[in-house]
Amino acid sequence: MSGPDGPATKGPNVAPPPMRVTTTGASLRPGDQPRTVDPTDAGASGSTVVIGRIGQLDRDGRRQVEVVVDGWRFELLVEDEARAVLRERASRDRTSAGAAGGPLEIRAIIPGRIASVAVAPGDTVEAGQTLLAVEAMKMQNELRAPRAGTVTRVPAGAGATVEVGDVLVVLG
Amino acid sequence: MTAAQRSAGRKVSLRKDSRRPFDRILIANRGEIAVRIIRTCRDLGIETVAVFSDADADALHVRTADTAVRLGPAPAAESYLRADAIIEAALGTGAQAIHPGYGFLSERAGFARAVTDAGLVFVGPRSDAIEALGDKLTARRTAQAAGVPVVPGTFDAIKVERPDGVAAIVAAAEGIGFPLFVKASAGGGGRGMRRVATATELPAALSAGSAEAAAAFGDGAVYLEREVRPARHIEVQLLGDADGTIVALGERDCSIQRRHQKLVEESPAPGLTPDERIELHDLAIRAARAARLHNAATAEFLFDTDRRFWFLEVNARLQVEHGVTELITDLDLVAEQLWIAAGEPLSAPVLAAAVAARSPTRHAIEIRLAAEDPSRAFAPSPGRVGSWQMPSGPGVRVDTAIRAGERVPPDYDPMIAKIMTVGPDRTSAIERMRRALDEVQVTGIQTTLPFDRALIRDVAFTTGEISTDWVDGHWDGEARRLDVLPVAAGVAAGAVFDGRAAASGGGRSAPGDTRWGRVTLRDDRDPSLRKDAGGSAWRSAGRRAASDRWPR
Repeated sequence: MSGPDGPATKGPNVAPPPMRVTTTGASLRPGDQPRTVDPTDAGASGSTVVIGRIGQLDRDGRRQVEVVVDGWRFELLVEDEARAVLRERASRDRTSAGAAGGPLEIRAIIPGRIASVAVAPGDTVEAGQTLLAVEAMKMQNELRAPRAGTVTRVPAGAGATVEVGDVLVVLG
Repeated sequence: MTAAQRSAGRKVSLRKDSRRPFDRILIANRGEIAVRIIRTCRDLGIETVAVFSDADADALHVRTADTAVRLGPAPAAESYLRADAIIEAALGTGAQAIHPGYGFLSERAGFARAVTDAGLVFVGPRSDAIEALGDKLTARRTAQAAGVPVVPGTFDAIKVERPDGVAAIVAAAEGIGFPLFVKASAGGGGRGMRRVATATELPAALSAGSAEAAAAFGDGAVYLEREVRPARHIEVQLLGDADGTIVALGERDCSIQRRHQKLVEESPAPGLTPDERIELHDLAIRAARAARLHNAATAEFLFDTDRRFWFLEVNARLQVEHGVTELITDLDLVAEQLWIAAGEPLSAPVLAAAVAARSPTRHAIEIRLAAEDPSRAFAPSPGRVGSWQMPSGPGVRVDTAIRAGERVPPDYDPMIAKIMTVGPDRTSAIERMRRALDEVQVTGIQTTLPFDRALIRDVAFTTGEISTDWVDGHWDGEARRLDVLPVAAGVAAGAVFDGRAAASGGGRSAPGDTRWGRVTLRDDRDPSLRKDAGGSAWRSAGRRAASDRWPR
């Protein structure tokens, strides 16, 4: 609603805080970058938008929100930009104090059954090497090493049922 | 109306109203097809027995059936493929017949035979016909002998294990022409299949295809078939009774496929001339008659750019996409299957529909919604559904067994719903499908909805210029997903901000509430983010205004 004095403001909060949004869970893709958005400028003209589950505030003041836009489903972490900056500073301090590059936990992104396991603890693997195969919906889905390393743990064996988020392989 | 006409009319209605083909049947399947068969049984007053695995103990087909019998653990081999347990369940519950649906045991001749041997009725073709048609080589020979053009290739199993035969096979392949396919005689779903571009690749493809077929089907027999490409995939719905009367109930164009799985089906096939349509129906009937087919089946053909039909195979069962034919014929194919299985001749409505199908006056389309991620090469995405809202309204039919909060198990086929629309012509059916897909709301799991929405808006689809290799060149899911990520981020931030404002203003909903399926639509989106703004391979067909209004 535009009056002669320009756009009307909604309520007393004049300047909404910018918010930081990060893909997470099943929506997380390699190379994804957090983005900063104005929460009152969330346009979706021409799109069909469904807001799904809105999670509880976590310890870091973030909330997980499920949004489906034109059929694409996203799991997004939302937090105040100011808080995100503080958290990042703290985590940078921790990283520089401790050792960089810890073990890497590779988790299941689809539920299913482990069809075969190609590696065992102690094996050295190259980036891209097949680690194991998860069978779901009549299809075999191969899991490959995201980086080179030594396999330190393979918690579940062939035939085991896994859910999303279960640790499949740990690389040292 | 004369007395004779009245009594004839009464006789027909008597058959439908006060009798039923069976008193109780067992449905040896799960998911939407089990629910769909149960619905017909309820219409006809037939009691139903469902079977289920542990993954489906609370599934809709179990809840809607009159009785349900547990078969075993989730894996299909320990539940829905256990012929012995299913027949035992039928006998134990007093069922007179077994409807196999599609997939699972529907085309296993041994199952059909065991059902009959147990004194039960198998709702489908006879076991000998299933056996003959399930073997692709026998089907090819049968069709060719009946004068039906068959895709050029070999007609006998290749002796892969004999090295001295390789030269003869290569010579035969040169005669057929490259590129060609190595196909499994017992095949289906693309397993055992290899595309071969040159003669040097042939020996390796033969042994690999044969090994894969042996592992998948217990039968390593393979044959060669020329690749017909570009081509459209058109199939004919057939019904036949015990007297040997066989009719064609129109055709379905299933050209849009991925990895040999159909994604979209429509009837009639766009662009066929009346003569071509009649020729196709006659070819299908000829092939079915030669195979002594009975009950419901589908004959599949390729239609090449020279406008010639080539016989591919016959599926001796109800197809996934049978609803498309039901929408244009007004028939209930499952009901007709049951009457045929009970020994009745083809009904008057079926015979009339077969005549009408030669000059169709309606158009129907089906799109399959699957639990797959179209941005990750259609990887399976099973899981728990959050909210679930399917379209309805004029000209829309949805077959599904999913409800809000339901878990889509990873053990079975990823298809979760069939969305069908019908209209007086193709354009109106497409318009309705666009509207219907805009009504779909699913949270909790990724579905193929983005692909389906883009497909139905694509110019190549709307102009009917479709072929079986269409999807490969037309879909970049990763880029499409990234296009809408900024919108999703804005909406998510807005949802959190709104929730906080509501809480501080003493609103009823405290932050942290779990809200399912709240729909927002805002009008201030950056125009540069709109899908139709960029130079994407996908083009919007300029119907944004309609979707803007939906849903509110």
